Amino acid sequence: MNKKGMMIGVVVVAMIAGIIASVSSSPSETVNLDMGRTHGTISTAMGSPILGNPDAPITIVEFGDYQCHQCYNWFHNTKPAIEQQYIESGKVNLVFIDLAFLGRDSPKAAQASYCAEDQEMYWEYHDLVYTSQESKIDSGWANSERLKAFAFSLGLDMELFESCLDSGKYSKRVSFNTQQAKEHGVRGTPGFFIVSSEGQQQISGAQPFTVFKQILDPLI
Amino acid sequence: MIQTIKLVFTNFKYLVLSFSIFVTMLIGLLIMSEYIFLEPYVVSHIPSGTEFGFVLIVMISALSALVLPMNIFRIYILKSSKQKMGGGVFGSIIGAAAGACSCGPIGFAVISTFGSVGATTTAFLTNYEIPIRIIAIAILSITYFTTIKSLKVECKINS
Repeated sequence: MNKKGMMIGVVVVAMIAGIIASVSSSPSETVNLDMGRTHGTISTAMGSPILGNPDAPITIVEFGDYQCHQCYNWFHNTKPAIEQQYIESGKVNLVFIDLAFLGRDSPKAAQASYCAEDQEMYWEYHDLVYTSQESKIDSGWANSERLKAFAFSLGLDMELFESCLDSGKYSKRVSFNTQQAKEHGVRGTPGFFIVSSEGQQQISGAQPFTVFKQILDPLI
Repeated sequence: MIQTIKLVFTNFKYLVLSFSIFVTMLIGLLIMSEYIFLEPYVVSHIPSGTEFGFVLIVMISALSALVLPMNIFRIYILKSSKQKMGGGVFGSIIGAAAGACSCGPIGFAVISTFGSVGATTTAFLTNYEIPIRIIAIAILSITYFTTIKSLKVECKINS
């Protein structure tokens, strides 16, 4: 009886530990499996997984290009404060949608991010590409070889990643996202929509944190 | 040199023209390069790492505001040839074009309209934004000194 009780106890403890481990290993990332997902009038079904609390009352939809230097500026100067003050607290979440228009390497970089998503590493890959961005468009820093090197440095399964990227598995997904951006009047990157129960507000360009704060605070 | 500048800018019309060129170019280039935003609030900021670009925009605007009225003065007051005006206009235009970054609405419109040719052009303007602006400053500086030299000579001849 004691042995049985101990075994049940061990199984229960292992299950609890497993649940805690799975939750704590990716506290802010959910894989996008919802094909009908929308935020406001925007179909985000083909966009990134949600960064942050999926039930947050406010969503920032970011339209961006991995080769855009203003997106790089926003990523480094504004996004960290938004993450720290709004996303980590669960008040706001963020979805990234590709507007891959700047050069021949832009669509490929966007596709690569979804190949990383297949291995539940979308945001890690996204962050690595923006951190590694070089100032010149189409200079080779985001070509297929470099995109694969980024995946390798994150420890992704390279056989899966390479077959995904080389096959162009996500080319239509990226085209759909670019079309979404155009349909919603996004005329440059980065472009944002702040979506809440009160509607959606567009913000164009790599605007500073103070602008986002002014819009987000009254909505919370 | 100061005498020559005084000669032009003691005329109130040229002072107003210079100020108008400076303000228009500065605000226009700062908006194009996303140092100033008009919507949803009017806000300006200089992201870290872009300070040098900001300084170059101020220099281009200031030099354009100096060179263009001096050349207009030469043409209208001294009835000189329009040849040297070209340098100032050319310098101002290429300095401004470098700011038409491919990420923004202008770049987006060019790429949407002209496809891969537009993408190549805007990529070039973005990739070489800083060198292009430095070249524009060099052209404007050369135009400035040649204009000063011409004004000195022409004023002596005329007087």
